[in-house]
Amino acid sequence: MNANNVYTPSEALIEEVITLSRNVNLYTVKTKEEIKWLPGQFFMVSVFGFGEAPISVTSSAREPLKFCIKKVGHVTGAIHGLRAGDTIGIRGPYGNAFPLDVARGRDVVIIAGGLGIAPLRPLIHEFMENGKDYARVFLLSGSKTPADVIYSEECALWEKRGIRVTLTVDCPDDSWDVCTGLVTAHLDKVEADFQNAASYICGPEVMIEAAMKAVSARGIPEERIITTLEAHMKCGVGKCGHCYMGPKYICTDGPVFSYKELRRLAERFGKGHGPQDDPMWGY
Amino acid sequence: MKKNMPVPIKTEAVKEWVLDKNHLSYWLRQLRKDFELVAPLRERNDIVLKRIDRIHEIALDCPASIPSPKEFLFPQFEPMLTKGTDGISDLRDGSKRVIFGVRSCDVSAVNLLDKFYLSGIADPYYESRRKNTLFISLVCNVPDGTCFCAGLGTGPYLKTGYDIQLYDLGDRYLLQAGSKDAERLVGRHRFLMRKPSKTDHEDQYEAQASSKAMFAERISLEGARQMITDGKVADDFWQDVAERCFECGGCVYECPLCTCFSVIDRKYNAGPADEQVERSRLWDACMFKGFTGMAGGALPAEKRILRTKRWFYHKLIYYPETLGAFGCTGCGRCTITCPGKIDMASVVHRMGNEYSKG
Ligand SMILES: Cc1cc2nc3c(=O)[nH]c(=O)nc-3n(C[C@H](O)[C@H](O)[C@H](O)COP(=O)(O)OP(=O)(O)OC[C@H]3O[C@@H](n4cnc5c(N)ncnc54)[C@H](O)[C@@H]3O)c2cc1C
Ligand code: SF4
Ligand code: SF4
Ligand code: FES
Repeated sequence: MNANNVYTPSEALIEEVITLSRNVNLYTVKTKEEIKWLPGQFFMVSVFGFGEAPISVTSSAREPLKFCIKKVGHVTGAIHGLRAGDTIGIRGPYGNAFPLDVARGRDVVIIAGGLGIAPLRPLIHEFMENGKDYARVFLLSGSKTPADVIYSEECALWEKRGIRVTLTVDCPDDSWDVCTGLVTAHLDKVEADFQNAASYICGPEVMIEAAMKAVSARGIPEERIITTLEAHMKCGVGKCGHCYMGPKYICTDGPVFSYKELRRLAERFGKGHGPQDDPMWGY
Repeated sequence: MKKNMPVPIKTEAVKEWVLDKNHLSYWLRQLRKDFELVAPLRERNDIVLKRIDRIHEIALDCPASIPSPKEFLFPQFEPMLTKGTDGISDLRDGSKRVIFGVRSCDVSAVNLLDKFYLSGIADPYYESRRKNTLFISLVCNVPDGTCFCAGLGTGPYLKTGYDIQLYDLGDRYLLQAGSKDAERLVGRHRFLMRKPSKTDHEDQYEAQASSKAMFAERISLEGARQMITDGKVADDFWQDVAERCFECGGCVYECPLCTCFSVIDRKYNAGPADEQVERSRLWDACMFKGFTGMAGGALPAEKRILRTKRWFYHKLIYYPETLGAFGCTGCGRCTITCPGKIDMASVVHRMGNEYSKG
């Protein structure tokens, strides 16, 4: 990143593009300068002529920089048009990171919905690499259909390294012989010591809300229920105003928040005081 | 009433001079040699801030300019960078500017904009313009009917936080330099000025008192803030406000303390096989539905009440919480511009009528 202009992206080389599902690709990029990041942080990724989009890092600090990107519109569509050897612009990392202290010495329950697994992946790596610092790690990962499942091969590797993985799809087909139904429906299979656990949740907004409520009901205290939020973002550095949530900006005050912080905001400012309309604020 | 009384400024604390009005035009002409000079001008029925070519066109006896001077620190449309075959070039503006004849409330707004744009991760475009801009503000002897700065301490004159502040004392100006840069600038033309006398300070005191007395009604933002935080203001109130909103965004564009922007990329061909992309930013408004729009077309703040309420909450609750002052200086521009009569003053006034008693 340009040292004196935060809005100037640095050019990065796309080294590899891997197709993960019908509309999700994994991009490995190489930057000129060395960049460090923490699990939960994101970059503003640009394709000149199309614009910028906030994208979470999906790789751990020991790996090259990787982004897992779903094609949903203008900018992400342009990114999907790029191949290995092309360049993109990146600036960051931005935002806070997943807190790890809430999980030290405890059971960890990770709940992912769809692409929500992307930002959680570096966190899973942290738990694997420093396994002795944490008790048991459970991963519940849900997708819409079998064709939408990403990182399934990695899940097998993670399982070998001690992560207890449950994969589920909402709408199964003949190829699917594992679990079906919403992720929250499988919490009963998680034999964690909930009173004494921490949880990390990422996915679509309705899923986040349901999952936070579900683990809270099982006894995880609100300050140890952690999620990461999405919003329309134009700057990533707390200036453009688009990502407001009450007095907070999701890009700089977040994107990672605890259930406790979110509830406190909702109590103080009522429903609908952020990009999250009523459902999110109905807690 | 004591709180209302103007406090005479202690002479030792501030560097002061007196400039005869006959010398103003010469002084500005000299300043223009080193700076782009911007001042209020009459354009048909509007007052606008513009680069001045003919000094005599400067209009000082007029209502507040529309839009506010934020235009020169955070323009409505600002090219950020271009990307061509030879890489990225930075389009930051670093022109040296003197903005003459702005009002105290607008200087107060700039002080708060500084806090916003320069804290945390500083905004390099704002920073570059700000570093190169000096404001010469004029104390309002005659406030507009829409002004309510007096109760907020953001005007009609400032005790601190200005670069150069002028008091109009009839045939002369009392000039105060509030920053080192300002002192240096004034120092260059000291020969035009003299030290203030006792009479000058008496006239200054008069000007302060008479200006303050002209503010008809005090709008209490603090009162409104308390009513909201005490939970007195029901959503029905905001629903009524929202129903009057035309979603024109005028309030946001004219407000010296609205800071939001969007970013766009545009492609053009500089020559055969040489495609240039220009990335620019432009004012955006939380009053618009699409402001928080998500990929896939979801509109989290589709209901108008969420947006209008947010605007008032931002200025009355979040600004004090995060930056230590209201996001409103009482400049009255939203009162002039809002076709729905749901500007800051009207809404706060109405809130007081509905909730302060009982
Ligand atoms: C913190 C964070 C992390 C994220 N991480 C990931 C991730 O790891 N992977 C992932 O896939 N997604 C991630 N997202 C979501 C991703 O940022 C959005 O999907 C993306 O911004 C959508 O952009 P788009 O242009 O493709 O979509 P669109 O729906 O086309 O547009 C989104 C924005 O671009 C504007 N826009 C649309 N069309 C145009 C146009 N023609 N010209 C100019 N502007 C236009 C829209 O007004 C809107 O503001 C993350 C989001 C956040 C906030
Ligand atoms: S000026 Fe009035 S009508 Fe227009 S967007 Fe603002 S509040 Fe709504
Ligand atoms: S809210 Fe209205 S009165 Fe207050 S500073 Fe903004 S435009 Fe001026
Ligand atoms: S993305 Fe601009 S303020 Fe958060």
